[in-house]
Amino acid sequence: MKRALVPGSLVELEQMLHERPGPLRLVGSGSRQARLQEPGALPRLQLGKLSSIERLDAADQTCTVQCGVPRAELDAALLPHRLELPCAGSGTIGGLFAADPIGPAGPGEPSPRTLLLGLDGLLADGTPFRSGAKVVKSVAGFDIHRLLVGSGGRLFLATRLHLRLRPKPPATVWFQNGDLDEGAAIQLVQRLRHQPQAPRALQLQRDEQGRCEVRGRLGGRPAFIREQLRSLGLREAPAKWLDHLPPPLLGEVLSGNILPSTLATLLTAAPAGSTLLWHGGGRFELGTTSTGATDRVIEMLPELKVQALVIHGGNQRRGIGTLPDSGADRLMQGLKKALDPHGILI
Amino acid sequence: MTNLERQLVHVLEERRVLSSPDALLAWECDGFTIHRSRPRAVVLPETTSEVQAVLRLLHAAEVPFVPRGAGTCLSGGPTARPDAVVVDLARMRKVLQISTDEMYAVVQPGVVNLDLTHAVKALGLHYAPDPSSQSVCTIGGNVAENAGGPHCCKYGMTQEHVLGATIVLSDGSLARLGGPAGPCGPGLVDLLGVFCGSEGTFGIATEITVRLSRDQEGVRTLLAAFPTMTAACRAVSDIVATGLLPAALEILDQATIRAVEASVYRAGYPADAAAVLLVELDGPLAVIAEEAAEVKVLFARHGASSSEEATDAKERKRLWQGRKGAFGAMGRLNTDLYVLDGVVPRTKLEEALTRIAAIGEKHGVLLTNVFHAGDGNLHPNISFDGRDPEQTARTVAAGREILQVCVDLGGSISGEHGIGSEKLDYVRMMYGESDLDVMARVRRVWNPDGRCNPDKVLPQRGACAEPAKWPRMVDKVLAAGDRR
Repeated sequence: MKRALVPGSLVELEQMLHERPGPLRLVGSGSRQARLQEPGALPRLQLGKLSSIERLDAADQTCTVQCGVPRAELDAALLPHRLELPCAGSGTIGGLFAADPIGPAGPGEPSPRTLLLGLDGLLADGTPFRSGAKVVKSVAGFDIHRLLVGSGGRLFLATRLHLRLRPKPPATVWFQNGDLDEGAAIQLVQRLRHQPQAPRALQLQRDEQGRCEVRGRLGGRPAFIREQLRSLGLREAPAKWLDHLPPPLLGEVLSGNILPSTLATLLTAAPAGSTLLWHGGGRFELGTTSTGATDRVIEMLPELKVQALVIHGGNQRRGIGTLPDSGADRLMQGLKKALDPHGILI
Repeated sequence: MTNLERQLVHVLEERRVLSSPDALLAWECDGFTIHRSRPRAVVLPETTSEVQAVLRLLHAAEVPFVPRGAGTCLSGGPTARPDAVVVDLARMRKVLQISTDEMYAVVQPGVVNLDLTHAVKALGLHYAPDPSSQSVCTIGGNVAENAGGPHCCKYGMTQEHVLGATIVLSDGSLARLGGPAGPCGPGLVDLLGVFCGSEGTFGIATEITVRLSRDQEGVRTLLAAFPTMTAACRAVSDIVATGLLPAALEILDQATIRAVEASVYRAGYPADAAAVLLVELDGPLAVIAEEAAEVKVLFARHGASSSEEATDAKERKRLWQGRKGAFGAMGRLNTDLYVLDGVVPRTKLEEALTRIAAIGEKHGVLLTNVFHAGDGNLHPNISFDGRDPEQTARTVAAGREILQVCVDLGGSISGEHGIGSEKLDYVRMMYGESDLDVMARVRRVWNPDGRCNPDKVLPQRGACAEPAKWPRMVDKVLAAGDRR
């Protein structure tokens, strides 16, 4: 039976950790748990009730939110101020920033790593700490808050996050160019990336048959957007964005970063029937048809200078992938030991 | 020559190991001239493997070391204590790779910021972070400090433009973080993000992959003169509130304008203005035309006494010349310049400047302001004679109070210059012991024996001042301040 700890306040959370509950798994909305190894019978520390938007300074374009604030709730609060959190992804804000599952939505666009100005955190033993600031610029002290991004909550807990916001563009238009072959799709993506004002969100998706769709969102002044649609041959369409590749029925999903120029090689080498979702900031998800097919792709990745790991598959398969750089791995293990010496956060 | 120096010569060759006291003079300080200290030796490696060999030797000999770029840092970051060896990276100045298609470059750390932009200019690309010292400062130094600049208002700080790095750790081993496809992948912690801005205390980046940005179709540079600083700050608030995202929003106060206009950096700024606001818009021509019209309306609404717009590249250069040369122009005001670097919420600029002016008066120091208004990043500058202990002490005391004001208003003690040795005693204005303890734990992972740029960023536990870093007279002022 999966036990859940559900603190109703930050004070309660701190107290729970002080009481040394033993190993546990942090959970926000739970939307990304399927990407991690099952924690078995270990308790889940559910942070969804820590859901207050504590500060919204619209004039300064910054805010402070508790970790359990749902993304949709923050978006709704920003709407009347014509502001946005300019990154893709759903779930709770704490979970989104800890997982950074998508990276930048478009070329040169912000991502959780660039939008996080600072945080209030708790070490696994309940020791509180702060990092960064609430203002848009600060280089005071070491940026410990950056270590949240990609950690999946395995180094410390972020209880409050200070975020940078951005004004919404005066106009937004979604586009969708479908039924393209791989070559044409990659060519279009490259063209879009090289625009002085590239799309704010950009995706390339390939289906099992190898047909591709390029879609995204343009933002800016209405006349400019119309001209961009026309000159680039983009087809206006209803908003469509996928955070993640729909998991294949039998196979697995690998995720990593890749340059568009390497994308063609990856697609050529990927086993028949593979599906792909590539985000404009460089993150990709490749759906394979079997574990064997995944292993063959992983073997090929070092040659392409691509690092990737399994994010969807059997419990024991999740997290396997290309070998990380040994120096980086040593640093990562050192950080885990330094910040969570008893291995509480798993 | 000591045994260690002989070993260093064996690794590098004699001319790239400096140890005579005269030769070391140039490495005595950076742009923060209050803190001076001559290192034990300076080495000038040219490759990653040479840096590794040097650090292995220093590791074996348990000798501290300090990485250094061009020495333009303004917080004493690369100033070494007397037992440390400076690893000067100025000779590592090769652009190793440029990818036009994928818009990135791989550079050695000693590549000068502006030289990289020059190297890719013909390709329609540029490197976006542009600290005021960009014609001399190095990419490696920019990474260490997470440098900003006027255009980071729109394009972000150095950290946002660094995609990867090869880092030599203090024992000479390597860590490779990120790469052209991105700084961190799924399931990987953002190690590169925490390395940027670690002020040379985590290791030495010897190969850095940076994002290049496509040149915009057009640039419009506007300058408005205001009768009061308040009006200029309110114009900034309104520009931000309308949703415009200018590439740069810079303010110079009257004292700065006058210093600029009396110097070789003369830009034709109206000398009677209380403040000038420089606004740069970039993007598609049609878009920035609309935006420029909106900015002009806001200039008028806030009572600008005059405004002008650069009509060509030469004019644009002239308008920027005053801003970029402002720190140099202040050399006319006195022998030394203490450049502060506080940040406040953009909505608190007026209040901060009022309180800063009062602090200047209280301490009787000559204070000027030139700042990145779009980011709330203030640069109050105190011109002083560093040969005069009493003036220096007043300067430091005023500086400390100014940074306290920034923190009290919800801001930070540093927006882009870093803590270095300058602000060691001020870090506690922002952080408590448990915050500093977590930072120290992280530093120990990268730099286990503390030999990599020691005595920087984090104050020693329990110390209220860092006596070794400051002249005696400044110690006294700081101690008096603590008693108050």
